Amino acid sequence: MDQNQRPRSILDSLGEELIAILTPVSICMFTVVLLVCILNSDPSSSSSSFSSIATAAYSESDSDSSWDKFVGAFLNSLVFVASITVATFILVLLFYLRCIKFLKFYMGFSAFIVLGNLGGEILVLLIDRFRFPIDCITFVILLFNFSVVGVFAVFMSRFSILITQGYLVWIGVLVAYFFTLLPEWTTWVLLVALALYDIAAVLLPVGPLRLLVEMAISRDEDIPALVYEARPVIRNDSHLVQRRVWRERRSTQNDSNDVEVSVVRSVEVVVEEEDVGSRGGSEISVPLIDRRTNQPENSETFLEGIGLGSSGAIKLGLGDFIFYSVLVGRAAMYDLMTVYACYLAIIAGLGITLMLLSVYQKALPALPVSIMLGVVFYFLVRLLLEVFVVQCSSNLVMF
Amino acid sequence: MEASRSDDPNLNPIRNRNPNPDPTPNPLSNMISSAHIWPTIDGPLGLTEESALDYARRFYKFGFALLPWLWAVNCFYFWPVLRHRRAFPQLRNYVVRSAIGFSVFTALLLAWALTFSIGGEQLFGPVWDKLVMYNVADRLGLSGLA
Repeated sequence: MDQNQRPRSILDSLGEELIAILTPVSICMFTVVLLVCILNSDPSSSSSSFSSIATAAYSESDSDSSWDKFVGAFLNSLVFVASITVATFILVLLFYLRCIKFLKFYMGFSAFIVLGNLGGEILVLLIDRFRFPIDCITFVILLFNFSVVGVFAVFMSRFSILITQGYLVWIGVLVAYFFTLLPEWTTWVLLVALALYDIAAVLLPVGPLRLLVEMAISRDEDIPALVYEARPVIRNDSHLVQRRVWRERRSTQNDSNDVEVSVVRSVEVVVEEEDVGSRGGSEISVPLIDRRTNQPENSETFLEGIGLGSSGAIKLGLGDFIFYSVLVGRAAMYDLMTVYACYLAIIAGLGITLMLLSVYQKALPALPVSIMLGVVFYFLVRLLLEVFVVQCSSNLVMF
Repeated sequence: MEASRSDDPNLNPIRNRNPNPDPTPNPLSNMISSAHIWPTIDGPLGLTEESALDYARRFYKFGFALLPWLWAVNCFYFWPVLRHRRAFPQLRNYVVRSAIGFSVFTALLLAWALTFSIGGEQLFGPVWDKLVMYNVADRLGLSGLA
């Protein structure tokens, strides 16, 4: 491939887009950590029983041995990953049968449920914690407003970019907070299992997400699912980058390009589009990877994996937001030291994934690298670093 | 490879008033020179003027279902319409009405909420305990998660 003809330009362009995708991920993680710190500071609530599909096989209790907990967590993860696989295959089937309207309606409905139900619960918890003297009428009106406008933002294709992004981040925060309420062993094994599932689903030829991506490419459509799309960067004043244009022009230039399908999505088309040719070729429209996670109360169409949208902006599935935040939230339940380590690990993993994306130019799973790095760093800090830091501080050596 | 979709107006991102988009490269120079004002806050990534009218009207009408936040979003989204007085007469109508609706509703809601929280038990008596949110949540078992 000749997308490296202007290597400097890839770094130039990647920097701004990297920030555009790192900012919402960081905001999401920060908000989840904040919520965890505020709402879980009461030690009596730490053993809450939160029953969901992820604890269907085994619910952890403090008195079990480590091996029991591990086996139980493993069973839980198996159940969860199996249900996600089934749900994703159903999504693939629906997409194949072109039930787009149903999917969009389901997306709006699930956004409403998440924002109304989960959002309401978190607000009630916050009100309870701070004894905020708000009355129920005002509360209902505010919650109703918040949810309905959120549904509009998610459902309608042409809506204020900022507000849509804000609501998607909020949905990620709410779902992630509820996932952090799972028992501890289950959470960690689940994260690792999901990272492995993501690799399998996106990269294997039989994986559901890969099928979905290929169908979306061949039909030149967007997958109707909850996806965070960074604002497309306007590169040059004299030539406003209308990224969406290239999808239509591709059909007219296809015959003149004289290349096969896989290479059509390559630099040539983009470079012909933009006289400046500044974007070396990483801005290819690659459809998203999508998947579905089964919620305790409902299932939603989340997207995982990272790709490049039809408008050339980087798209990151909402599932990635959620599981990054779950990792960091769970780290926050131990100590803030682990939070810092896991945050840096996840950001590094995301950066690596984005670079791989610009190299491989196809939809990639965004979970595995970050989750693996995050889990490794969490256990390293918890087992090794903390002892070191505590010893040093108590002897007034450092920190 | 696939059907051409270049004549689909919704997908056409070129926000000019030209009904036949020019497929040759760089069709935007005429647009830049005309200093076109975009009706939405997203600028060239947002709506065209025709569909903007439809959106503004829909948001305005939906806002009557006790949705002042929708009116506020309407004003936020069409902020350039409020700033440039002459530009979009029909749009401006709806947006200004949304702004007025939002202000009125917020004033009323704020008045009620402040009266409730500041007045407290002295003003309302035993009804206050029945209406306040944390008691309602306890009664309905909503805060039983943690």
